[in-house]
Amino acid sequence: MKSAEYQIVHETSYRYSEPVALCQNQLRMRPRNHSHLVCHSCEVAITPTPTSLHQHTDYFGNVVDSFSIESLHQSLQVRVASRVTVSIPSDENLSGAPDWRELIGVIRRGEQPADWLASEYTFASRRIELTDMFADYARKVMQPHASVVDAVQALTVQINNDFRYDTQATDVNTSTEEAFIQKAGVCQDFAHIQIACLRSLGLAVRYVSGYLRTYPPPGKPRLVGCDESHAWIGVYAGEKIGWVDFDPTNAVRAGTDHIPMCLGRDYDDISPMRGIVMGGGKPILKVSVDVLPLDSSPTA
Amino acid sequence: MAAPFSLAHCEQPAGRYDECRSEEGHIRPHWATIESMLNRIGASGLNDRSLQIEQLIREHGLTFQFDVDQKPGQLGSVPVALEDQDWTGLSAGLAQRVRVLEAVLDDLLGPQTLIRERIIPREVLWGNPFFYRAFHQLQRTEESVSEESAGIGAVSRSKRLHVTAFDVVRGDSGRWWVTGDRTRAPSGLGHLLENRIVLSRALPHAHRSANVRRLAPFFKSLREHFRALTPRAMENPRVALLTPGAGSYREFEDSYLARYLGYTLVQGRDLAVRGERLNLKTLGGLLPIEVLWRHVSDQNCDPLELDPASLEGCTGLLQTIRDGHVSVVNSIGAAIAEMPALLPFLDASAKKLLGEELILPSVATYWCGDEQPCRFVLNNLDKLIIRSAHWVKEFEPMIPEQMTSQQRGELRRRIKAQPHRYVGQERLSHSLTPVWSDGQLQPWHFTLRSFQLQTADGVEVLPGGLARVSPAPELLGGSARSGLMTQDCWIVSDEPVDHEETLLTAESQTIRLRRGGAELPSRVADHLFWLGRYTERCESIARLLRTTLTRLAGEDELDELSEMPRLIHALAAMGQLEPDYAIEGLNGAMPRPDVMLPDSVFDCGTTRGLQSAAVGALRNASAVRDRIPLDAYRILRSLHHEVVVQGRPRGGDVISAIERLNRCVTLLLAFSGLAAESLTRTHGWRFVLLGRRIERAHQTAELLLATMAEPMRDESSLCEAILDATDSLMTYRSRYLSITQPAPTIDLLVTDESNPRSLRFQMQDIEQVLLELPTSAKQVGLGEDERIAADLTRRLLVADIANLCHCEPDMKRVALAALLDSVCATMPKLANAIEARYLIHTSVSQSLTGEPDKHAPLAFSPMSLP
Repeated sequence: MKSAEYQIVHETSYRYSEPVALCQNQLRMRPRNHSHLVCHSCEVAITPTPTSLHQHTDYFGNVVDSFSIESLHQSLQVRVASRVTVSIPSDENLSGAPDWRELIGVIRRGEQPADWLASEYTFASRRIELTDMFADYARKVMQPHASVVDAVQALTVQINNDFRYDTQATDVNTSTEEAFIQKAGVCQDFAHIQIACLRSLGLAVRYVSGYLRTYPPPGKPRLVGCDESHAWIGVYAGEKIGWVDFDPTNAVRAGTDHIPMCLGRDYDDISPMRGIVMGGGKPILKVSVDVLPLDSSPTA
Repeated sequence: MAAPFSLAHCEQPAGRYDECRSEEGHIRPHWATIESMLNRIGASGLNDRSLQIEQLIREHGLTFQFDVDQKPGQLGSVPVALEDQDWTGLSAGLAQRVRVLEAVLDDLLGPQTLIRERIIPREVLWGNPFFYRAFHQLQRTEESVSEESAGIGAVSRSKRLHVTAFDVVRGDSGRWWVTGDRTRAPSGLGHLLENRIVLSRALPHAHRSANVRRLAPFFKSLREHFRALTPRAMENPRVALLTPGAGSYREFEDSYLARYLGYTLVQGRDLAVRGERLNLKTLGGLLPIEVLWRHVSDQNCDPLELDPASLEGCTGLLQTIRDGHVSVVNSIGAAIAEMPALLPFLDASAKKLLGEELILPSVATYWCGDEQPCRFVLNNLDKLIIRSAHWVKEFEPMIPEQMTSQQRGELRRRIKAQPHRYVGQERLSHSLTPVWSDGQLQPWHFTLRSFQLQTADGVEVLPGGLARVSPAPELLGGSARSGLMTQDCWIVSDEPVDHEETLLTAESQTIRLRRGGAELPSRVADHLFWLGRYTERCESIARLLRTTLTRLAGEDELDELSEMPRLIHALAAMGQLEPDYAIEGLNGAMPRPDVMLPDSVFDCGTTRGLQSAAVGALRNASAVRDRIPLDAYRILRSLHHEVVVQGRPRGGDVISAIERLNRCVTLLLAFSGLAAESLTRTHGWRFVLLGRRIERAHQTAELLLATMAEPMRDESSLCEAILDATDSLMTYRSRYLSITQPAPTIDLLVTDESNPRSLRFQMQDIEQVLLELPTSAKQVGLGEDERIAADLTRRLLVADIANLCHCEPDMKRVALAALLDSVCATMPKLANAIEARYLIHTSVSQSLTGEPDKHAPLAFSPMSLP
């Protein structure tokens, strides 16, 4: 096992050109406990003070904060501060990963409860259409007798090679198919494309939102608040191994530098913040993310 | 003597189940009353009844149906009679089916045992694009509800299904089959109620003597049940019926049901979640809603958590449900229980969850997600109906037999590509029932939409239902409105039935007297405001057009009419003529006024001022149809017909244009009279009045600005035309006889506080009305709207008539133009201020994502934009 501990501060602030009479919001910004992550603490601070504030757990097990602000306000700040430990199984644990083509059959049959439950992530979802176009692209890269970990790793690298990271190429309304055709996009698009490829083959894949630890250039100090929220994918690798995360934007298997927050079928299930405001004119958004490693020494 | 008219006149095809006759051709006993009625009234009597029914339906349609283009439904004059005992058997099956679907839904939106144990294939749920995961565990379970408050309410509130409907048909053997489930928000309840009310008026005697089981007890239970659903114990909870809004096929039914049951009819725009509760937005503030009967689709209920593009629901609704502060009927996600893909697995599900066998069989249904049924469907396309597996409304059912071979090939490809999204369904044969059509009794195919109510005590089945009939069975496949005709359905009892209960008359308890007002929903106030504006705009333009055309019809030659360019200028300023026509000196390039003006009157397009105002008036009146007198609505429909629908009459000259405008002005005066005499002085009326006053001030100022700002050599005929167009000529003549001059004209139309057409009079009225509207307790001093109005009133008050008429050396009435300009500029500001103060809830919303460059403003287009 390798593990790392982090303090993450994610601040989102809106300044409105005109007063807002009402805002209703949902946050999916709390890291959730699961096999790779322990959340030690998480504090959500909202300014102005919400009129109502509720918490519930959604279908996928993510913790949702719903809040409303019902008096006139000119700005909104959401600050989420969490302390987490990420643990990743060492590479030897993945050596027994099943042949990816056999795994497809295993998931389809769903004889083990874990396989059966994972199969919910083989279906199309709002942002993921399953088509031959995606399947054909993936098949060219994924070697017939490779283990699912190796095959998906190859696809992760291939997507990173074939697609251009470009913040101007897509927006929130761009479909996965469009992003695939124009061969460009941001981390969400990369993740959606890889999910579409793997699900089109019959594998179970989920969308992971979270953060990425960044390293300052050698000799430079770490800059506070310059990190970003990130997104990648989790692939089901059979009941023994469970879910393994890959990051197509950075062409790597996710390690302890990847700090997952929420899990779902695609971005729409777990967008970190979604809200509706009345009024507001032209809002100015400022986001700052700070990922501070507390202890990064690998343990046995 | 010929044999009396009888059911026997209806042809009896062999091999099919005949509702009214046994196989041997004997009239079934429960049809005896209908038979004797036919004997008595004969074919001609039946014809008379049919006409009477048509008349009543049309009248109802006018009252409750807002969409002017929708054809009213047809109701047959012969009911379908079912025998009490037969019905009892069917009812038991229907009631059981409600319990089964409740259990299935509760499982699918909860523990999903049926999926885990593979009783229902996972593709049916997990692969269903209409299964929003937010539906899951949204509703609180019985245990968690009853922890807080035990009792009937808690049990009722834990249910997901309250009002359900099933489509049933009777096969050749006489056995009933279910062909479709409706668990979301079944339509047809209003129609069947209307059918019963209309038919019992047309056939009063037959209806009573046949011992027909009554519908009223069902509706009474429904009301009691809804009352019990309220999350907080209270005497008189507010129940609101959420309807998709104007233009929906639900319009008629929803307004009919709301009025019959005494529920507030609301649209998404009327609702707001504030302080963790669902509220109705009114002028007087927010009023909590306890129970929401929603007739909008599941995914449209909350843009925050479900489909973000929908405006039919209310932001934050799901959270209030999670908090247990509102009960929604049927619970959101209930559409999952009506998906056709469940049908093949319903039997096994019932056994698993309730340990029961289904009493009532479902029509044979083959889900293509399984290999074998899929092969069967592809091999037997011509015998089947193809439906969406996941959502009945995803697409219309398809009948491959009626397709071209190319279409069939395409369908085959689609099924093979995504088999789990399709089901094939057997086409059942229907029983036949006599229908009076084209002057004879004909055996038509019959299907029944039956309704159930699930309460804490169990399931109550409505005795009867919406009977749909059609000469071709294919037409009966779809919605409650499909089929050619509906019929009343009688459950004929052996014993006399109690006729006392009805919801139409007042209830036993005394209603507390009240003066309405502040409860006016903001949206309604908005529509009424624009109704006032549009009718006034119509009148101003129609009057000016008429005045101008009357001049053309006189003896004078066109070039002798010195006032003509100014009047045309004014008509262009009001949007009736192309703006180019207002430019003097371009006369040569323009069509002659005696061509161009009638053209503008007879133009059926809706870009011109008069036409678009008539459309606007009717549209806004339609949207608040349940708030204004029927006669007012009729007037506006006639106006709409006159101006937009009718088109150009033969000839279509100046004279016929004047005649049409005469009719328009008369209709508009009738509307004003009605508004003045028949509307109670509530806030609603005040908004109509405000709209009228603001519009009149604006139009009058525009008219004077276009005509009087620059003096002409001889202004007497121009002044006369202006006075005529503003309905002030009589007043003028009574004061000044026949000498028309600018100064008294300007005085009468601008500064005279006693002339209801003057600018000052408008402002006086506006100030008064603003004073009467509710004011927030927090407000100190004048509101923005009142300040704007007071400022303009003051300017009109201090205006000196000599100064206004004074002409500068450059031939302009500078003071007059400045004053009129400020009126024209103030009116939109005033309207905005009023909207901001009273109708603020309808402001623009936008969505936040917390990510850069991804702000997608929600399209929000209130109908009131001019």
